[in-house]
Amino acid sequence: MSLLDAASEHDALELLHDLDCTDGLPVVIPTADRVARMVLATGYEPDLVLGEMGPMHGAATVDKVATAAVMAGCTPDHVPVVVAAVRAICQPEFDLTEMQATTHCTAPLMIVCGPARHACGEIASGFGALGPGHRANASIGRALRLAMINIGGARPGSSDMALHGHPGKFTYCIAEDEENSPFPGLHTTLGYEPEQSAVVITGAEAPHSTFFTGDRDDPNSAESLLNVIAMVMANPGSNNVHLREGAITVIMNPDHTEVIRRAGLTREDVQEELAKRATISVGTMRRINPMLFMQGINADDKSRFSDAADEDLIHVLKDPSRILVLQAGGSGLYTMVMPSWCAGPHRNAIVHSEIELDQACEIPGMTL
Amino acid sequence: MRDSISIARLGIPAVALVTEEFWPQGDFFATSSGMPEVPRVKLPHPVAGTGEDKMAEVASDITPSIVELLSS
Repeated sequence: MSLLDAASEHDALELLHDLDCTDGLPVVIPTADRVARMVLATGYEPDLVLGEMGPMHGAATVDKVATAAVMAGCTPDHVPVVVAAVRAICQPEFDLTEMQATTHCTAPLMIVCGPARHACGEIASGFGALGPGHRANASIGRALRLAMINIGGARPGSSDMALHGHPGKFTYCIAEDEENSPFPGLHTTLGYEPEQSAVVITGAEAPHSTFFTGDRDDPNSAESLLNVIAMVMANPGSNNVHLREGAITVIMNPDHTEVIRRAGLTREDVQEELAKRATISVGTMRRINPMLFMQGINADDKSRFSDAADEDLIHVLKDPSRILVLQAGGSGLYTMVMPSWCAGPHRNAIVHSEIELDQACEIPGMTL
Repeated sequence: MRDSISIARLGIPAVALVTEEFWPQGDFFATSSGMPEVPRVKLPHPVAGTGEDKMAEVASDITPSIVELLSS
């Protein structure tokens, strides 16, 4: 890694801004000492390559990732999640190069599962977990973005061509509210043991708020809740409706999962029901985007839908496992739905990586 | 741009069509992919959704450049 010279921290910050190495906000200056201490917290050699980050095809070495973590304001406790997240998005199935370059606003949504939620700085899963005020969420998500900028080379308007972006491109990290959830840990559905920790990542739009007020006396509450979530999933403007291959994240607040629990539904039941209900009519698609729809943005659309009746329904997602369902947020009326980009060779695959909690080396003068 | 680079790597002549708004990104990709000289032709922006007449006009304008690059 190369070192820059500056007379003061103030000058160093200005230099980093001038070099487009920041996200536009002030960063902690990644001095050699701070980076070395963060590398120690990873427990790995500084030159270990965690993956390659496009579109610049930069090698995500531990010291570069540690640099991003320092700049983002991470504590050493946070860095195992950052390392796991970098490993996850460098998996070929994530299509990082294409994702960073697309005109869509997609950003990696990090969902932290398992004991790391508490061990890595208390990553918030309750009220306002996707908003400001939670240091671990803010710093960990920001570290991943700074790695994507400085190792992956994503700069707006020249290599990152997102037309607007969205605020989740600054930081987009949440923990699952596992203790209060009727569902098992999301990571266990992906093959991890409950005592393991993992970060699950999907390229996601900003959250779409979904209002629902339950009624304990209404035996059809779960039905109504599933229907309204499915309607938001089938938002006719989303890529999911047009491409129908991506992922959709559904983050339910505790009151909404209570409705699901009372109805005796499992996570898999919710996924199946949402996949079944999230539909849009052929007629609507013909009206809103006739050129793309009738010429076939998907290879098989033209033959499948050219003779279809207007009232025939198209399913937004074919594969229920591509609907990530979890509990987080405070108690209340809103569930969050995050549509996705759905493109790239792997069509916005969901990726995940174990968070290793036993790798850290002792940092002189600091208790981890 | 990446398609063009991938095809060129296979030894098949390729020309990338890049709109003017995406020209800097094309340069970035060509350089970061190790093929800074990969042939490319600049199109007006946007092309998508501009109608058949406009697309035919653009195609007519750029075809000689494409042929020239493929022949060189």
